[in-house]
Amino acid sequence: MLGLWMFAVVVGLLLIGFPVAFTLGGTAVLFTVLGSNFTEVFLGFALPWEPAFNVARLNILPQRIFGTIMDNYTLVAVPFFVFMGVMLERSGLAEELLESMGMLFGKLRGGLAISVVVVGALLAASTGVVGASVVTLGVLALPVMLKYGYSKTLATGVVASSGTLGQIIPPSIVLVILGDQIGVSVGDLFLGSFIPGFLLAGLFIAWVAFVAWRRPNEAPALPPEARALTGWRLVAKILRSLVPPLVLVMLVLGTIFFGIATPTEAGAAGAAGATILAALNRRLTRRNLLDTMDTTVRLTSMVFIILVGATAFSMVFTALGGGHVVDEFLLNLPGGHIGFMFFTMLVIFLLGFFIDFIEITFIVVPLVAPIAARFFGADMLLWFGVVVAMNLQSSFLTPPFGFSLFYLKGVAPPGVKTTDIYRGIIPFVAIQVVTLVVLVLFPGLVNWLPSLAR
Amino acid sequence: MSFLLGVARAIDKVTGFVGRIMWWASLFMVVVGVYNVVTRYFYGFFELLLGPRTAANMTGNLFLELQTYSFDLIFLLGAAYVLRVDGHVRVDILYSNLPARRKAIVDTVCYWLFLVPFALLGIIYSVPYISRSWATLEVSPNPGGLARYPIKTAIAVAFGMLILQAISETIHNIAFLSGRKGSGSVHEAPPAPMEVDGTAGGVSGPAGASSGAEPGAAAPGGDPA
Repeated sequence: MLGLWMFAVVVGLLLIGFPVAFTLGGTAVLFTVLGSNFTEVFLGFALPWEPAFNVARLNILPQRIFGTIMDNYTLVAVPFFVFMGVMLERSGLAEELLESMGMLFGKLRGGLAISVVVVGALLAASTGVVGASVVTLGVLALPVMLKYGYSKTLATGVVASSGTLGQIIPPSIVLVILGDQIGVSVGDLFLGSFIPGFLLAGLFIAWVAFVAWRRPNEAPALPPEARALTGWRLVAKILRSLVPPLVLVMLVLGTIFFGIATPTEAGAAGAAGATILAALNRRLTRRNLLDTMDTTVRLTSMVFIILVGATAFSMVFTALGGGHVVDEFLLNLPGGHIGFMFFTMLVIFLLGFFIDFIEITFIVVPLVAPIAARFFGADMLLWFGVVVAMNLQSSFLTPPFGFSLFYLKGVAPPGVKTTDIYRGIIPFVAIQVVTLVVLVLFPGLVNWLPSLAR
Repeated sequence: MSFLLGVARAIDKVTGFVGRIMWWASLFMVVVGVYNVVTRYFYGFFELLLGPRTAANMTGNLFLELQTYSFDLIFLLGAAYVLRVDGHVRVDILYSNLPARRKAIVDTVCYWLFLVPFALLGIIYSVPYISRSWATLEVSPNPGGLARYPIKTAIAVAFGMLILQAISETIHNIAFLSGRKGSGSVHEAPPAPMEVDGTAGGVSGPAGASSGAEPGAAAPGGDPA
């Protein structure tokens, strides 16, 4: 029972707003003191109630930290992809892409918004760093869309949602840590999320087109004077902005997909490739390099110190019998595997409103993944992982705690209110839920590409 | 108080210095990573050029572990620096709307309620683990791998640095709450991502916007909402 209390308490404590990593670790300590013979061993007095576990169980904590986090070749891919993403962002790639895509699609109604989705997907394939994409798109595209008469809701919705595509379109940091937690090859996970990721982007475009068709005044076409280049000059500009990042992406993903390189190797090569691209664009300044290194340190430490805290949390949670209770509960839900899937997805979706993908991945996913393996078979874990990733994707967009919304609000022009953003993302969150359901119903969308690679 | 602030500034200096070393560790990691890729995929070329023995010496577990260890050092020893610049992600639905003084109070209490006990627990349990590694001067089981006792030691060092940084933050916050200005607490300074003294060389990107990539640097000042 204490185990379930632990879960409730940590959710409550997280809401205080103290850094997640230490809240998780502190809760682990609190429940160690309450639920074990900790006081007897360290302080020389026993608590008035029977201890639920022996504190000696924590002896393996450092081994867990070393064995599962520090001595882990795959996780090294995370800082590499962060480095690559931030460096590409600094290389001025997004500006070029947006400019040329805007000119390409500008004469269509809704064309500017479509170009935002396309660039979002391209950035996603090259970086996978949410904040960077949202900020870049928000700074560059939002003022332009508003200037040419786009409705605030559509403009903000499309920027916030396109900026999060990086979490589902490989290479993505979410997929790396999910693969590690579920025990699935990260390369397969990348392959499996390829079609779902672009399906999602396609549906975003379809929605924009639909809005432009039904409510033309919300998504007007650009006036001719805003489209400076035409004909061959435009084609040349598009090629110039599109080819270098596409080559890099194809190298990174291609080597992973064809089983040539591990995600870690591809990440290292990608980081170097991004640095070379930045140098070619004359953006490899001392400041950009230092900023890239700084962000890499910050994100890497932030993510993996949470994993350290979550490791302690999970150990104590298991020692208190919490894992067992959760297993029993999930296995005996009405409706068997359907009930399990529905309940798990609902919980992850709802948790996504309040806590972010990292905590969900490190705490909830390890609890549910073994059950998924029992219901659907170990070979379906890949599909389960991609479905979870698609679900986690929504956590970036769901208020009040969606990173994408924060970042967008941070860079949006003063006239844009938080309510505009909240209203704007509703259709896009709905599209994500629909995509999630489609993936659950048609696992082939996930499994087809990885099956080809085998 | 001024003595305590001196202590806090000394701690910040160490943390900032280690943080900057970790910046370069991240670059080093990329360089080693690329080196590993090149030597693995062009092994045949190196073998032909330099002979099989040299080629074999140039590749292998030593370099793979250098890459992994850099990663370990970055996230472990960078943790205190990230705490200093308020880069550890928070669930800030409520927090972001608090006035600066409240934030300082919440943080100060939580340092001692959550962070310090957790770090102490980490130290208590990792010290025997680390000393066992030192006792045998443990080496990686992978052929040609690196020594393991130094990297395991980093676990305890990281927890120790976190406690020190929590002490420094507490001093800053108390100074701030008692009305002393210029203490450089995260709650008082405007969102300036890089204020680890002037030597960093102009790394001061537009706050929150560009340096805040991903959740990590979520709102350096705490409140973009």
